[in-house]
Amino acid sequence: MSKDKFQQWENELTKCIKCGTCRGVCPVFQSVDDESYVARGKMRLVEALITEKIGLTDGLADRMSMCLMCKACTSGCPSGVNTDKVFLEMRNYLAENKGLPTVKKMAFTWLKYRNIFDLSLRLGSTFQDLILKKALRGEGKVPRIPIPVAGFNKRRIIPSLAKKPLRSILPEQVNVKNPKMKVAFFTGCMMNYVYTESGVALVDVLRANNIEVIIPKNQQCCGTPIFTSGDFETARILIKQNLHVFKDLDVDAIVTGCASCGLVWKKEFKKVLEKDDELISVAENLAKKSYDISEFLAKIELNENLGEISKNVTYHDPCHLNRGQGISKQPRNLIKKIPGIKFVEMKNADNCCGSGGSFNLSYYDISRDINNRKVNNVLDTKADLLLTSCSACRMHIEDGLYQQGQSLPVRHMVELLAQSYKEKGVI
Amino acid sequence: MLDKKVLEELKVALGDSNVKSDVESLICYSYDGTFQENLPDVVVKPQNVKQISDIMKISSKYNVPVVPRGAGTGLSGGVVPLKGGIVLEMTAFNRIIEINPINKYAVVEPGVITNDFASEVEKYGLFYPPDPASGKTSTLGGNVGECAGGPRGVKYGVTKDYILELEIVLPSGEVVTVGNRVDGETGWFDLPLLFTGSEGTLGVITKIAIRLINKPTTKQTALAKYDTLVDAAKTVSTIIKNGVIPTTIEIMDRTTIEAVENFLQIGLDTEKEAFLLLEVDGESYEVTKQLKQVEDICFDCGAVEVEVATTHEESERLWKARKSISGACGKINPTKIGEDATVPRSKIPEMIIRIREIAEKYKLKMVIFGHAGDGNLHPNILTDKRNLEEMERVEEAVSELFEAAIGLGGTLSGEHGIGYMKAPFLKMEVGETGYNTMKKVKQVFDPLQILNPNKIFSPEKEEE
Repeated sequence: MSKDKFQQWENELTKCIKCGTCRGVCPVFQSVDDESYVARGKMRLVEALITEKIGLTDGLADRMSMCLMCKACTSGCPSGVNTDKVFLEMRNYLAENKGLPTVKKMAFTWLKYRNIFDLSLRLGSTFQDLILKKALRGEGKVPRIPIPVAGFNKRRIIPSLAKKPLRSILPEQVNVKNPKMKVAFFTGCMMNYVYTESGVALVDVLRANNIEVIIPKNQQCCGTPIFTSGDFETARILIKQNLHVFKDLDVDAIVTGCASCGLVWKKEFKKVLEKDDELISVAENLAKKSYDISEFLAKIELNENLGEISKNVTYHDPCHLNRGQGISKQPRNLIKKIPGIKFVEMKNADNCCGSGGSFNLSYYDISRDINNRKVNNVLDTKADLLLTSCSACRMHIEDGLYQQGQSLPVRHMVELLAQSYKEKGVI
Repeated sequence: MLDKKVLEELKVALGDSNVKSDVESLICYSYDGTFQENLPDVVVKPQNVKQISDIMKISSKYNVPVVPRGAGTGLSGGVVPLKGGIVLEMTAFNRIIEINPINKYAVVEPGVITNDFASEVEKYGLFYPPDPASGKTSTLGGNVGECAGGPRGVKYGVTKDYILELEIVLPSGEVVTVGNRVDGETGWFDLPLLFTGSEGTLGVITKIAIRLINKPTTKQTALAKYDTLVDAAKTVSTIIKNGVIPTTIEIMDRTTIEAVENFLQIGLDTEKEAFLLLEVDGESYEVTKQLKQVEDICFDCGAVEVEVATTHEESERLWKARKSISGACGKINPTKIGEDATVPRSKIPEMIIRIREIAEKYKLKMVIFGHAGDGNLHPNILTDKRNLEEMERVEEAVSELFEAAIGLGGTLSGEHGIGYMKAPFLKMEVGETGYNTMKKVKQVFDPLQILNPNKIFSPEKEEE
């Protein structure tokens, strides 16, 4: 693979005119202020690897892993260098030729086996109080002891695991009286195990629009945390299982409420699968009918029988929804449809929250620094509710608010829609 | 190889975390926005002025080159450590110390980002006009070092027109403040002017007092389209001759228009030979009057169509093509070599003809877009750096471009500086005596030749 990959990377390298525009947009760079952590510098390191000036050094691996995969450098590049693609492939190259960090290896083995993963998170929800204590302000928990596998920093706050996963709360098929459509719901792990109320709200909103929902029990993790760390092999196992579970469903669309899951379904399955995989065409077909919930609701004829909620709200753009899928207007338009809502735009709403999936586990301090900028922008709006479309962003911003002693609630935007329908008694 | 003692002494002076010598760091501080690269021996990030003095003393003691660096976005190679040594990263100096709306100046540290500063002073109703294209990332220290310009140069001048006072660490380690905050004038030589554009060859700037002006209340934009490039060029000199000074006059030739249209598909008229993007600012009554005058002159000089933006959105739309040129060129050929040789406004038509001839002679793809208002045409060669044979032709074409500009009474650099890229051509512009005078000035400030060697001046060997 290497010769082929090197050639592709070289094509991207040639496009880079070293203008340094990425310095102005990279959240990690803005925290560390070190050229070797910004896209321009990292592209130079890729070049140094290709031209054998350096080998697969720890220093190289460190630079490649210190990236949020927020795509700000890619979308901001005036020369159109596909930096996100190069860095992702570099991680894969490093994982295959140098190996994954042990912590991640352990975590991914766990994710690979759905039953064990599911069981441990269920047990986790029962026993979590032994190692996590309730955070002072009620939302979420702080670890009693550092948890090495998750890299949890002792002072950080993580949400409670749900008592019962979403896919156990909801039946596999949710019927409505006069269905006008039928969709499959890809829950993602965060909605299944942590923010189950978002998942319930998403189904409620679909019900309010007379849409039948299938929630396949055997769906898996979408693979994002695994392949973004470079482990394509494990990710492929999960992707294939998901494709098998969804491929024969008789549905009009596949919807998700997770920005990263949505991006994977639409664009990344086929990048991670081997070129000759027979499931490539399945992935392509399913990609065409995959939607983020806000995108889907913007496409259908929405039931606008919405009840009043008087609140000042602001919205944070998840990277994988905005830059990943080009979706930023749809969630805002839906929020603004709710009577009584006053929408306040925050400064730099599209800047990364600093979570970066597993990035915040490895580099909590940098991740916190980036997140603090986001939290400050949120607080400046004086909103009394922050909405977003990604559970990982939500978790990280909730932690940031807690660290600053703030009690501002954060919700998935679909929860507000569900609440609005409830106000009118639609559901 | 760097003496081990240098590294040790630097670590004592700055602390371990501010001294980096791992190969990955060195690679990432070996370049700027140009093509040549060279590894430094160590990268240091001083946190205060005292540490810079210490660095200068260590480098003098061991005779190690020091290259001061901002964001590394320069386009003449000012921060490439050609002779290795110490790269002195100034980005920790990132505070705006004072904004004084009554006396209309600001005091900043050199690591402040240009656009951050510009938007900060706007909060006080003030205006910092220089607007280099890299303003989102470039530092004010770098702007002073290279004497950066930008589209607004036509009306508002370049960086040197705004520098009142500088605090400088000399190669000896001594600290001196030159100029003054009131009006820049002092009883001695105009040293701020000497240091602005000195490209880090005379001292390390640690504090900058910047002149500010009132923010103009209104701005209007127009786009004029031409059937011949020469008509567009004629418009530029006619407008200025008639006493109207637009904020910006940007030119785009047909090759550029086509490139942008292919890239964006926004319905640009690719049949036209040239576009002029014009902007006037000031109080609203004068802006309206001036824009009308500009429009009339455009038609008099042969414009076939003039679009005037009345809203902010329309103005953004007119600017869109200009702002997308870089990306558009990248789609044609991966490597873009931009020059900023500048000619007197009256010579723009001639220069355009010369540029076209040179492009044809060396069989190169060349686009012309730039700050036509101040004669800075930015001929850009679109090539592929992997094609070595073509790169040779590029090199020859570039030196012919310089010759053409100088021949027309122009200068090598409108705003990028000399760096290493234009150093071999400097004598052509300043003459033997001028060159030797500059060398003597350099000798006074930096007798050990420690600061940014082989910039502005060519390596000694070539001179012999």
